[in-house]
Amino acid sequence: MSEGSSKDSSTLKTPMVYICGECHNENEIRPRDPIRCRECGYRIMYKKRTKRCILFIEVLL
Amino acid sequence: MENPTLKNLTDSNFGVPPPHQNEVLQILGAPHVQSFNYMLEEGLTMAVKDLNPVEFMMGERRVRLTISNYTIASPCLPFGTICVKDTNIYPSECRQRAATYKGKLLIDVDWYIDDVQQQSFQKDLGDIPIMLKSNRCHLSGLSPKQLVRRGEHEQEWGGYFVIKGHEKLIRMLLMTRRNYPIAIKRNGWKQRGALFSEYGVSIRCVKDDQTATNNVLHYVTDGNAKLMFSYQKVLYYAPLCLILKCLCNYSDRHIYLRLIQGCEDDLYYVDCVQKMLQELHIENLHRTEECRTYLGRMFRVKFHECPSWCSDADVTDFILKRCLLIHLDSFEDKFSALVFMTQKLFSFAQDKCKVEGADSVMMQEVLLGGHLYLQIVKEKLQTWLFTLRTNLLKTNKVGGESSVNQNDMLKAAKSTGGIDHALELFLATGSINSISGLGLMQDKGLVIMAENINRMRYMSHFRAVHRGAFFQEMRTTEVRQLLPDAWGFICPVHTPDGSPCGLLNHLAMDCTITQHPDPLKVKNIPMVLTEFGMVPLKYGEIVDVKDSYTVHLDGKIVGFIMKKDAGKIADKLRLLKIQGHKVPSTLEIVVVPMKNTVCQYPGIFLFTGPARMMRPLLNLYTKKVELVGTFEQVYMNICVSPEEAYKGVTTHMELSKTSFLSNLAQLIPMPDCNQSPRNMYQCQMGKQTMGTPCHNWDMQAETKLYRLQTPATPLFRPVHHDQIQLDDFAMGTNAIVAVISYTGYDMEDAMIINKASEERGLAHGSIYKSEFIELDHVSSYFARNPHEEKLNRYLEEDGLPFVGRVMREGEPHYCFYDYDRSQYIVKMFKGKEECYINSVRLCENIGARNACKIACLTYRVPRNPSVGDKFASRAGQKGICSQKWPAEDLPFTETGLVPDIVFNPHGFPSRMTIAMMIELMAGKSAACHGLVHDATPFRFTEEDTAIDYFGKLLVEAGYDYYGNETMYSGVDGREMGAQVFFGVVHYQRLRHMVSDKWQVRSTGPINILTRQPLQGRKRGGGVRFGEMERDALISHGAAFLLQDRLFHCSDKTDAFICSSCGTLLGPITVIKRMDDRRNRSETEEYCRLCQSSNNISQIQIPYIFKFFVTQLASCNINVKINCEKM
Repeated sequence: MSEGSSKDSSTLKTPMVYICGECHNENEIRPRDPIRCRECGYRIMYKKRTKRCILFIEVLL
Repeated sequence: MENPTLKNLTDSNFGVPPPHQNEVLQILGAPHVQSFNYMLEEGLTMAVKDLNPVEFMMGERRVRLTISNYTIASPCLPFGTICVKDTNIYPSECRQRAATYKGKLLIDVDWYIDDVQQQSFQKDLGDIPIMLKSNRCHLSGLSPKQLVRRGEHEQEWGGYFVIKGHEKLIRMLLMTRRNYPIAIKRNGWKQRGALFSEYGVSIRCVKDDQTATNNVLHYVTDGNAKLMFSYQKVLYYAPLCLILKCLCNYSDRHIYLRLIQGCEDDLYYVDCVQKMLQELHIENLHRTEECRTYLGRMFRVKFHECPSWCSDADVTDFILKRCLLIHLDSFEDKFSALVFMTQKLFSFAQDKCKVEGADSVMMQEVLLGGHLYLQIVKEKLQTWLFTLRTNLLKTNKVGGESSVNQNDMLKAAKSTGGIDHALELFLATGSINSISGLGLMQDKGLVIMAENINRMRYMSHFRAVHRGAFFQEMRTTEVRQLLPDAWGFICPVHTPDGSPCGLLNHLAMDCTITQHPDPLKVKNIPMVLTEFGMVPLKYGEIVDVKDSYTVHLDGKIVGFIMKKDAGKIADKLRLLKIQGHKVPSTLEIVVVPMKNTVCQYPGIFLFTGPARMMRPLLNLYTKKVELVGTFEQVYMNICVSPEEAYKGVTTHMELSKTSFLSNLAQLIPMPDCNQSPRNMYQCQMGKQTMGTPCHNWDMQAETKLYRLQTPATPLFRPVHHDQIQLDDFAMGTNAIVAVISYTGYDMEDAMIINKASEERGLAHGSIYKSEFIELDHVSSYFARNPHEEKLNRYLEEDGLPFVGRVMREGEPHYCFYDYDRSQYIVKMFKGKEECYINSVRLCENIGARNACKIACLTYRVPRNPSVGDKFASRAGQKGICSQKWPAEDLPFTETGLVPDIVFNPHGFPSRMTIAMMIELMAGKSAACHGLVHDATPFRFTEEDTAIDYFGKLLVEAGYDYYGNETMYSGVDGREMGAQVFFGVVHYQRLRHMVSDKWQVRSTGPINILTRQPLQGRKRGGGVRFGEMERDALISHGAAFLLQDRLFHCSDKTDAFICSSCGTLLGPITVIKRMDDRRNRSETEEYCRLCQSSNNISQIQIPYIFKFFVTQLASCNINVKINCEKM
């Protein structure tokens, strides 16, 4: 763990946003955090849909 | 509801959860939930009381362990979990987290030393699975709106368990009717001992806490009778009179008189009884005490439960209580029941009464989930007590002291563990590991997964009854037969074809499973009967038994009724039953009449118990609905319609003409117009249809879910469709069908789909696949490797793919930091098919000590129709899509209509699915007039035919009476000579799709031993090219093809053969240095048998031949091959 934490500290500045399956509250969760909603304590988190353009990305590349 | 309607679509409350749940749908889960509730509220209390106390010596002290109390809690988070608003756990969460829906089981253990009670303690036995919608489930009693709030469907009926995210259902099994002695002839019984015959009277005894055991009274050909009882799966046989004498302290004369009462004329029987009684005296067993000591002494070694200090007579008591007619509490009752069984046995053995097969529904009842669960919990509690004893003895050994104190006890209890694992394992695998066998014929396959392929499949699981895995291997068809007494209880249509045919049945729509009756009402019955004129058993000596019926109440003999009064008393009792105030309304009153011919053994049998099948009928005297049981129905006169009733004979009438059909069979349009196997096929195919399995797509984590994107409601459907609100879970599409042989691509059950229709969305579908990814180590976590730039295109910072991404084989799937290896690991996507990420969920595994990170990925695989996909109408007419034909090339009608599906007319003559033809007309007229037509069977008659009704409607709409239309060729526009049958049919898309099936290979993975291609699509194996295929190629003379298939693409090998000795085994390869260059080596073949290397040549043979030659050599057989130069 020691090695990982020192290495990752710089890269993990931007936590991901997840939506709680119970109260739909948006939670910021870092990779090693427990999966818990900060509002209601629910244990299933949904990832938000991406804002990337998916449909044509392959065509353009 | 009289007719189907489309009003539900225009209702202002469309989409709003109704205030109450649909009764018809709640029936599906009811038997399961009720039986589980019985366990929770009463059954387990009884079972705990009924446990054998564990008694043993510890040093000089007698220790006794008992369980005094228990509690089962609702599923909730572990005590002390912080920062949580709602500590309850709901099933939806368990499904998504692949967890088990379970609640805590606590027991109070009492213990005694030398009969002095010590301080009792509480023990946590772990979390046991809880049935959904039972009293311990949070969903129980919720309104549709609240259910939706909890992530469930508004019509949720429960009855299943959630085990590791999967919905598991305890299978309903058909069992022998409880507490009724059945006359059975079984050839296998002859092997049970010397002189045993095939005749026997068998009884399945079930206690109130659902503990079951079998007893058989065997007829031995020397005129004896032996009673079989079992203990821990071992069968024991004891002479009848020994048991009788052990049961009650009666004189020989009394026993003799009781046994021959009513059979005084039967000289053979009287002789046998005398002989049996004498035999005991020959063995020097004269008095009851002697018999009891003898029996106890004989069985002592086998009954470990009895502590060492109890006497032989106590052991006998234990046997009589635990193994013999356990449904009766008092020994007098057991005695009377045995006397009845003996008389029945001897009457049966002399062919004075008929055999009652255990295969007919009248002799059957259902094993319910809750009852089985109760039995398992009971047994596990008993074993838990034994384990506690073992652990206690162990701790004591270490201490060296002989006495036990509270600390020792608590320590032992702590190390004894729980029973949660065993129960979860049972529900996960469906197999039990039991000492007693629980009175079941099988220990595997007791639990099924409630697959939710579509609504029909899901519903059918809850009404399915299985005869038992044991019968699956039987070669005789007897058990599979549909017997007349199944009418109204078991659906005659809905059974699969193939190996489970007739064994896996489904309950008819109206059939209910009885619950536990009100004990007060059951208590009333003997009193009511005595009031009506029954002679109670204690005055049995004064009645003329020959001219009266024995009255049984749940296997207990309560008295006698004179032959002439029987009918009247039964009628009076029936009236009380219909009222349901004094006696339970689920009472089954069976009067098996005495006749002069050989028939079923007479008597009056009353059943009040649970788990019996019953169905409602109209009682014609009272004009009220009465519940009728399977055994009862056999002796009743029931008419279907009022015209059929015979005055004074017919007593009951069916409530509806269709209630004998199951849930699914009632959904077939006009099954009365189909050839019967077609209805069976539709019941099968309905269950394989792609449709709408659920509405909570985002809360599903099922491995595979099929979804039809553009479903429509059928325009021709039975009322039942509306009653069960199947429109909410629509499946299938209304297709414009032309019955015409058009392109040649529609032969042999193939069908053509209009390409333009397909592009506009006909039968579009997709599969939702979910996958759980669990990391191996607690400290591993999902994260994208920050040093690999190219991962950014595929994954987000958390190492998981972004929602909506297209997944292709070989692209990065997910990335995590592996704690063990201290590095990031990227896993590649393995799926062969292109798919989209539908959702990504992170879950936490609460409660577990070393919970690893879990992610659930859901993919959506688009599956629009393609050539090779399977479709079916609702009349058992299935077909494969053979072409997607361009719309412009398809024929068109005068109005310019082009068919969606071209159906080959050759599908009709041999299959005789008239219902599909009627549907075609009805669908067309419904579409024209904006109606939905009723397809309930038996509504039309020979005089007033469906064809005429819909024909007239078609004429009104300006079409041909028969639904025919003139069509024009799509290719050249010429009018076609023949009129084409053209209309609207509801088509189902079946889940069998080519994308899941295609299999192709030239060379590839091989079996290591034989070097022949592997079997199976998953492994990249081949399709078997068998003998028949080989014959076909030989007969065509396609030698090269044959060689390619069976040789080149299979196990071709190079081998050396010695032509002088003709063996494959002789030549070996020798490595030797080259003559010119000493540092290099070369090989040479050398025959060890001929000691030369002259006549060796290289040939190509199948490897399996070489293998075969080697194997023969191991048996000392040489294979000599004659060679010729070519």
